[in-house]
Amino acid sequence: MTESKVFLDPTVGWILLAAFSALWIGLGIYWGRRNKSFEDHALAGRNVGLALGTATAAATWITSNTTMLAPQFALQLGIWGMLAYSTAAFGLMLFAPMAKRIRQLMPNGYTSGDFFRLRYGRVAWAIFLVFTLFYSLTWLVSMAMAGGILLEALAGIDYVWGMSVILGVCVIYTMRGGLTAVIGTDFIQSLVIIVGIAVTGFAVLQNVSVAEIHANLTATKPALLDVLFPAAIMAIFNNLLFGLGEVFHNNVWWSRAFAFRDSVASKAFLLGGLVWLPIPVAAGFIALASGALGVAVPSADMVGPLVVAEVLGTMGAVAIFIVVFCSLASSIDSLLAATSDLVTEDIWRRLMHPQASVETLKKAAQWITLGLGLLTWLVCLPRIGTLATVLFFAGPLVGSMIWPIVAGLYWRRANTAGAVGAMVLGAGVGLFCYFAIGWYVATLIATAVSMIWVLGATALGKSRFDWTVLKEDA
Amino acid sequence: MTFSPGFLEVLIYGSLVWCAVSGIGLAVMLLRDGKSGEIW
Repeated sequence: MTESKVFLDPTVGWILLAAFSALWIGLGIYWGRRNKSFEDHALAGRNVGLALGTATAAATWITSNTTMLAPQFALQLGIWGMLAYSTAAFGLMLFAPMAKRIRQLMPNGYTSGDFFRLRYGRVAWAIFLVFTLFYSLTWLVSMAMAGGILLEALAGIDYVWGMSVILGVCVIYTMRGGLTAVIGTDFIQSLVIIVGIAVTGFAVLQNVSVAEIHANLTATKPALLDVLFPAAIMAIFNNLLFGLGEVFHNNVWWSRAFAFRDSVASKAFLLGGLVWLPIPVAAGFIALASGALGVAVPSADMVGPLVVAEVLGTMGAVAIFIVVFCSLASSIDSLLAATSDLVTEDIWRRLMHPQASVETLKKAAQWITLGLGLLTWLVCLPRIGTLATVLFFAGPLVGSMIWPIVAGLYWRRANTAGAVGAMVLGAGVGLFCYFAIGWYVATLIATAVSMIWVLGATALGKSRFDWTVLKEDA
Repeated sequence: MTFSPGFLEVLIYGSLVWCAVSGIGLAVMLLRDGKSGEIW
């Protein structure tokens, strides 16, 4: 991080923060008036159309990592680094047919936890909940923390204030408006991010040509242009599998599959993936231009804003601030909504209050969102700042769930022994390799072990699952 | 073996144009959904 360099006047930063905060909260309260029951609150009435569906799939996947880490990937891993990052889009695209299948098999489903409980029983459900809650909370905390750190670096806004405002705003509009507010604001945020990245990218290219960028890289950092850059090629597999595991298991995506109108669920995820695909390259190439533009880069993690602010001045800094703020909000609100729905449905309702009315459930979901926000805020206060490592640590947990989900959705013979063994063994071996070898192989090995176990258990299994079990009454 | 300037040009401009088209596409889809009453 740069020690003292701030890209934007703090007053301008606060004005932008206040304006967007007011907009999101206002829209959240407005859209929240539609919600009468838990189904409305958690799943936006199960009737979201194609435009909002596509935008929310793309916006949720555009985190601050996408806009900040993609330039860092480009700076350290070159062209392959940007392309490796783009492979995360395949998670959304490959989830498209699964979303359709999920809608067909579980017309009354609420969460990915419902699937594990009904398909594989309570033991697999419990393991799934531990894995997914660990991952989701880590992701949520890392996003809120990134919010505070980035707002401080971009506009000199104190870490605690920046983190508190962005988290508080997301908690308020998610509590009030539920998934309806999240999806509605996601549409605006996705447009702001996409247009912001495209305009900024074209503006940078007014100052330097691609030929000049290439010539400079050839002379100073030829490895970044290397077609056979080993570290970068390995990053492709890690990113791809991490993306698949994250999208396939997380309730952020399952809740959207349940919320989208039956006829658009599949298309929305496919189009969302296509919208997301070019963003790491469009945001990342700016880092490759730093040498040709003569911009010194003291810290790789701030290379994107640094180049844009140096080349485009205050307007560029304003654009970066807005894009980063929207990226953070679009991910934090989705995580808050999906995780609180998971806790409400799978723990509060199924384990503690099975007879709760739809109105009570909605209220419980709102309080759980608030509780989740407060917990996140407390964890973020000390500014640990090393959560990227913890997220990588979650990679084997995420990878080990890919096969139990895919097999459970499509194969009658997939069974509980296969799912439980795959998650426990896959995560165990993956975590061992994480410490024994390195983070870059952990997800890959966890997924491979999980796959072998699921395939073996399915081949040997005698039972045939009755798909109608998944059509549990709401 | 390195990526050529032509490849880099196609990759960068292609991504930026793709982003711009995506933005327009999302707006058009929303208008179309709005006209047919299928936004929510």
